[in-house]
Amino acid sequence: MRLSYQWLCEYVDVRDISPRALAERLTAAGLEVEALTPRNRGVSGVVVGHVLTCEPHPNGDRLKVCTVDAGAGEPLTIVCGAPNVRAGQRVPTALPGATLPGGPIKRVTIRGVESNGMLCSAEELGLEVKLLPKDLTEGLFVLPEDTPVGEDIVKLLQLDDVILEIGLTPNRSDCLSMRGLAYEVGALYDRPVRFSPPSEPSVPEPSPVRVSIETERCARYDAQVVSGLIPRPSPLWMQMRLLAMGIRPINLMVDVTNYVMLEWGQPLHAFDFEQVREGHIIVRQAGADERLVTLDGQERVLNDDTIVIADPERAIGIAGVMGGENSEVRSSTRRVVIESATFDAASVRRTGQRLGLRSEAQQRFEKGVDPVAVRAALVRAAQLLCDLGGGRREGGVVSVTRGEAAVARRLEFSPERCNRLLGTDIPPSEMRAVFRRLGFSVQERDAGAWEVDIPTRRPDIALEADLAEEIARLIGYGAIPSTLPFGATTVGVRTPSQRLRRRTREVLTGLGMTEVFTYALTHPSSVDALGLAADSPYRQMIPLRMPMSEERSVLRTHLLPSLAQVAQYNLARDVAGGQIFEIARVYWPRRLPLDAQPCERTQWAGLWFGTTDADVWNRARRYDFYDAKGAVEVWLEAFGWLDGAEFRPAASPWLHPGRAAEVWLSGMRIGSFGELHPKTAASLELEGAVYAEFDLDLVVERLSDRWLVEPLPRHPAARRDLAVVVHRDVMAQDLLRVAEEAVHADGERLLEDIRVFDVYTGPGVPEDKKSVAIRLTFRSKERTLTDEEVDRLVQRVLSVWTARFAAALRG
Amino acid sequence: MDVGALETTILDIEREALGALEQVADRAALEEWRVRYLGKKSPLSQVMRQLGSVAAEERPRVGEAVNRCRDRLQTAWETAKEALSERLLNERLASERVDVTLPGRRRERGALHPLVRVMQEVEDIFLGMGFTIAEGPEVETDEYNFEKLNLPKDHPARDMQDTFYLTDALLLRTHTSPMQVRTMEAMRPRVPVKVIVPGRVYRRDEDDATHSHAFNQIEGLVVDEGIRMSDLKGVLEQFARAMFGPDQAVRLRPSFFPFTEPSAEVDVRCINCGGAGCRVCKDTGWIEILGAGMVHPHVLDWAGYDHRRYSGFAFGMGVERIAMLKYGIEDIRHLYQNDLRLLRQFARPV
Repeated sequence: MRLSYQWLCEYVDVRDISPRALAERLTAAGLEVEALTPRNRGVSGVVVGHVLTCEPHPNGDRLKVCTVDAGAGEPLTIVCGAPNVRAGQRVPTALPGATLPGGPIKRVTIRGVESNGMLCSAEELGLEVKLLPKDLTEGLFVLPEDTPVGEDIVKLLQLDDVILEIGLTPNRSDCLSMRGLAYEVGALYDRPVRFSPPSEPSVPEPSPVRVSIETERCARYDAQVVSGLIPRPSPLWMQMRLLAMGIRPINLMVDVTNYVMLEWGQPLHAFDFEQVREGHIIVRQAGADERLVTLDGQERVLNDDTIVIADPERAIGIAGVMGGENSEVRSSTRRVVIESATFDAASVRRTGQRLGLRSEAQQRFEKGVDPVAVRAALVRAAQLLCDLGGGRREGGVVSVTRGEAAVARRLEFSPERCNRLLGTDIPPSEMRAVFRRLGFSVQERDAGAWEVDIPTRRPDIALEADLAEEIARLIGYGAIPSTLPFGATTVGVRTPSQRLRRRTREVLTGLGMTEVFTYALTHPSSVDALGLAADSPYRQMIPLRMPMSEERSVLRTHLLPSLAQVAQYNLARDVAGGQIFEIARVYWPRRLPLDAQPCERTQWAGLWFGTTDADVWNRARRYDFYDAKGAVEVWLEAFGWLDGAEFRPAASPWLHPGRAAEVWLSGMRIGSFGELHPKTAASLELEGAVYAEFDLDLVVERLSDRWLVEPLPRHPAARRDLAVVVHRDVMAQDLLRVAEEAVHADGERLLEDIRVFDVYTGPGVPEDKKSVAIRLTFRSKERTLTDEEVDRLVQRVLSVWTARFAAALRG
Repeated sequence: MDVGALETTILDIEREALGALEQVADRAALEEWRVRYLGKKSPLSQVMRQLGSVAAEERPRVGEAVNRCRDRLQTAWETAKEALSERLLNERLASERVDVTLPGRRRERGALHPLVRVMQEVEDIFLGMGFTIAEGPEVETDEYNFEKLNLPKDHPARDMQDTFYLTDALLLRTHTSPMQVRTMEAMRPRVPVKVIVPGRVYRRDEDDATHSHAFNQIEGLVVDEGIRMSDLKGVLEQFARAMFGPDQAVRLRPSFFPFTEPSAEVDVRCINCGGAGCRVCKDTGWIEILGAGMVHPHVLDWAGYDHRRYSGFAFGMGVERIAMLKYGIEDIRHLYQNDLRLLRQFARPV
């Protein structure tokens, strides 16, 4: 909402307060002033000139030489290039020494003729040309014929005004009018507000208009017919005021309705009364599929949720949103009926949203208008039309209501409760003063129990808490001290899931991985690279109803496409490679179309792409399966899960079938990792990249926060290194597992540790075989093991390997 | 045998041995010298073997001369050995050099994402103040995202949060505030409720330097008997000091949120200029970091806490905004671009 400082001063005298100070005060009171714009963009020394003569320039085809009476001294000779300049016009005349937004004006000689100033267009004066009709912006800005010659243009066009652009919060619908703003400013500065309702003359003749309300959604409809109007533009001062407030001047009738709306906050609409069949206005719900061409020339399809203004034959307007073309007020219109009504806010809002319209009227209706203003605004508009347009009232105001009339609200209020809520110690007398400034009247029922009457212009005040806010707002939030809550001491805790994620982050960043953060909304085709089956659940992506772009139109079901995008972005920017991870949710619907909240699973996903950093000690190499596996193992170990984890070949379609593993933990598949499938890699342009994903929701139950020390061993260990040749497909994990089973077959747990420390293929080992070097560590808690004992155990291991895997001890 | 001749021989041996010792250059030569002059077959041993031919009364004299000579040779050998060790060590040290300016065998540390850093920092501060951390669904119902927060259907205040709808009833949450209601419903009738809720939220905004269709919020909620607006200010002041520095102050300004009354915008002293006025704070000395207020009586009542008995405050802050202010990131999109050259800067402070 814009606020004209000059206009405001007509209602509440704040001339001693600068616009800037006013802006600060309003902002501090919750009416945030977002911009402070002087209307004058650099105009000075420009006056109203009267073009006395206008002759063609002797040396220029399109130029004219004019003599202009600027109200002082001899007429001036001014060369003008505007095509619309004529003798007899009143035009803004920049005298030598004047300044315009475009620069200073000097006496110059144009093609041999001395020009003593410049005749100005609207644009040259810095007016809001986008809002002005074409005939005022093309060429000179021609002023009305009765404009006094010599008058300062700054004053005439109200350029000495400052506009405060206020970002209103949606509750302050009262401030969508000069009236509301005047009351607000009056309350803030404790100054009287001069804003009186217009007096309504009594008109004995009956009104020619009949009004029927046929819908619950119109509580009141007032109408006034004004006839005998002379078609003319609205006066310059009104046009300038509308312009300052950001509203397009059109013609007197429309301008008056807009002007009064700005004044009172009550939207008005003028219909050409000759177009209202039978002089009968009917407020009703539209029929299904009813159509109406609105003022903007568009045919609108209505539905039964829409309130329309109609005559007995057809709709003539969409209530609260936009009038119909069929009843539009034109320059030829002599007789109008002005509407001032109250429509159901929610219905107006829905209609506007459905039609994609957002008129000034609609914005006010949907936030609620003041019932008191309905009639006052109508009377005021009729008055202005009579005064400025030569019209006369034809009958009085026709007022029809439906349902109960709105009454002023009365709220209970306790100064003590108010102080308790705010944590303040404001004396009741000060609170009483605040209510007086706001124009709320207070009755003290009992000591400390007040009743506060709220004027209808403040629909936002509905609860005692709202009154508390008014107290704090006017006294200033600065009066609220800083305290800390009383009450029981609490201990803050993280949930297991949060602890799991935090430790995961510590582990992965500790391994040198960089965390990324990507959007959850993605492109529907982002999963295409994953090689999914047609019925894969990963294809079940929840779509937005009205996405802003296809790129962000569905919720992701998989994290690989997001990480891949990060990798691509970085590879394109001279980054050789990296290890990245994200902890985020994927969104799996139970079914589509969506009928319930989906399953939001938290995963961690890692991507190793490109090459490692080369340095003095390490050559750059491609990341591979074992980089991921190392990270996965360290991660599992950080939670004590590594011993219980089982790695099996994985069959995820986005992973290389021979270079991928899935991890099982106590019967659950908690995740998978591996090199990207060549097809996936090719379509993501991430050849050889390695991807891992783990479901954190599955493992959160197994989170352990216990650390317990095992006593250090008292007896020495015996180590044996064995190298065995086995078929290439034999998995290391199987060798280790059967060895452990063999050693522990008689119940004594003597194998303390077993691990692979080398794998060799190449000369000396047959083509289809590999040599696996394994270190076994034996130890007893009770005694020192003898060599014979250890040798027996080793023999047992070897024989089981031979039996199960045809293993041969390597020479 | 003539004693005099033997003594001369001993002296000659000594002279020869000491002369030879000076020529010794390495451990092998030294060992050779030791075997030669101090071993069983050394000339001194041969002198001793000739002792039998010396008159009995002369033998002690000669024996003593031999022993003295051997002692001297032994001492000389030890000295030479030590000198040799010393020399060899010096030679070794002189030859063993590394370029200390080459990089070490490094394992680069990774880095947390700046948004996560901010969230963790905020979480830690509020944990320290006794808040619990809760999280909720991002796909919310209209009921929890709006209606139970005093934002009925067709209410103009819904324009404050342009919404991504999935169905008539389901949407992407526009704020973390639905968790106010979910938390209260889960907790009732227990007090105090003290919780913060970090999480992703979504608005139908075009992405530009300061807007993002997806961002993160941290919601806070305290409900108990006797909670005052001054408590809100006090708690946020503590937070601001922990987050932005001990000299921080907060300023409340009236505002409007449908689910709080009274409502406030909360400013902290500009963390760029400390309040003197600069480009970041548009010369006001203050920057807005969150919205807050006293929980609206309707919201309390609907969630099962009678507003006549209980009161509470709530606040919500934008994580991106804090990250941008704190880390000097000028474009919100940079937080989602994941340029590793930017993210890796978070492996070390400046």
